[in-house]
Amino acid sequence: MTSIITAVLVLSALSGILTLLLLIAEFFFANYGECTIDVNKGEKSFKVEGGANLLMTLASQKLFLPSGCGGRGSCGTCKCRVLEGAGPLLPTEMPYLSDEEKTSNVRLSCQVKVRNDIRIEVPEELLSIKEFETVIESITDFTHDIKGLRFKLPEGTTIRFKAGQFANLFSRPYDDVKEETSRAYSISSAPSDNKALELVIRYVPNGMVTTYVFNHLKAGDKARLIGPFGEFFLRDSDREIICIAGGSGLAPIRSIILDMIDRGISNRKATFFFGAVSQRDLYYVDEFKAIEKAHPWFRFVPALSKDDSDHPYENGLITDVVARNYDSMNELEAYLCGSPGMIGACCKVLISKGMPEDRIYFDKFS
Amino acid sequence: MKQTPELDRIQRKMQPGVLTLKGFLGHDDRKLADIIDADRQTMLAMHLDVAQIVAKLQDLAERGVDLMEQEVLVDNRYLIRVRDDRGKIASPWGDGLFEKGDVDLVDQKTGKTLKWNRLTLRLIQKHDFFGGYGSEYRIDPESVREILDLEPVADEPQV
Repeated sequence: MTSIITAVLVLSALSGILTLLLLIAEFFFANYGECTIDVNKGEKSFKVEGGANLLMTLASQKLFLPSGCGGRGSCGTCKCRVLEGAGPLLPTEMPYLSDEEKTSNVRLSCQVKVRNDIRIEVPEELLSIKEFETVIESITDFTHDIKGLRFKLPEGTTIRFKAGQFANLFSRPYDDVKEETSRAYSISSAPSDNKALELVIRYVPNGMVTTYVFNHLKAGDKARLIGPFGEFFLRDSDREIICIAGGSGLAPIRSIILDMIDRGISNRKATFFFGAVSQRDLYYVDEFKAIEKAHPWFRFVPALSKDDSDHPYENGLITDVVARNYDSMNELEAYLCGSPGMIGACCKVLISKGMPEDRIYFDKFS
Repeated sequence: MKQTPELDRIQRKMQPGVLTLKGFLGHDDRKLADIIDADRQTMLAMHLDVAQIVAKLQDLAERGVDLMEQEVLVDNRYLIRVRDDRGKIASPWGDGLFEKGDVDLVDQKTGKTLKWNRLTLRLIQKHDFFGGYGSEYRIDPESVREILDLEPVADEPQV
């Protein structure tokens, strides 16, 4: 019995000593000291303390790479090219990288630890992305499952964005959600309204950020936003445009139309088809009707897919309504925003009417 | 099947508030390996193949898309509504991102319901994970056999 107790005590002591040695070793050897991150061949350079992942380290220097999961290695969106200093590709990165990306040194920044000097390459537009600590100025119930939020930027701060772009909104920890989480939402306000940002958010059942917005956020609360992001914006041309949206997809289209008014673009006809199921899903109708009245180049066409009541709008699926309004779309360009299913269905119709695929624009933040 | 450290890591990602608000496990407190094993045994006992289930659910979902979230009666039996959300959801296995959007099915014959999305089907197809007890996305093998009228496969089922 005594020998068993002695053996257990000796083993416990040995384990304790080994743990202590490991902690001491980590303190000395895992201290990476000061590292330099070079961005875009000297365009920017940061002196940082090593040890954290590249995504968070860049964020601490106010360089924000898009991230849908907050650095948990599960969304694959925080990619950047690491030209030097990243170490070998990790198994956790493999599922998110194509063969081409692997050979051209694209890495998941949330998985790359900053251990030494690093040289990276990021798209130029990411350098203008900023973080904003905002205050919720108002929350408006647009429909039974869509809210409009207006975020006031800090005093003296403005934002520059292209109409159609999106921003990432962060939820704070709540209930079972222990970490800050972010999701992308299109900006619905005009770029000229640059001291605030407006977002339109549709409730997603079990959505981590939309549940926070719908159940926890209220006017006067603080909220963190990062942006702008995205390649969805009005292209410079003289072509007539057709915009199609459903649900919260109205947001970037509103921003684009308001921007066209601000910039005095009246030489391009624009028609906005807004698809909804029934009248209870419509919003901003009065505003768009007023724009239509004031600006002859703009036409607003709400369409209801299942509403038997007496209403002044078009009847049918938005795809059918668009199709019956045009014989040919050869000379038009299109801007779509909505669910992936709606975008897919609309693309089929537009292409069948002769619109070249490269003139169909939709945001890919999904 | 053994509960490896890798399965521990995956099970942590399945907890509420990590990848999704309610997680993947419902009120099931079994080890992930045990959850998978139990459903595999049920599938084997019923001579069902995961491919049967996934193919049928995919087919039903496809018959509800492009309808802008309207309900549709399929095969004069299943009331289906496909919700179409923007954004993607990550697999707890770290093997991809899947478009959000739930399919809700009500079987008018049995009154039973099913809910799934693209990730649910992926987890069944690749990992034999049907969801924990109490999860609203659980595709219980016995229920789904009854709802979909699945026939046993002639050969050894692939689970």
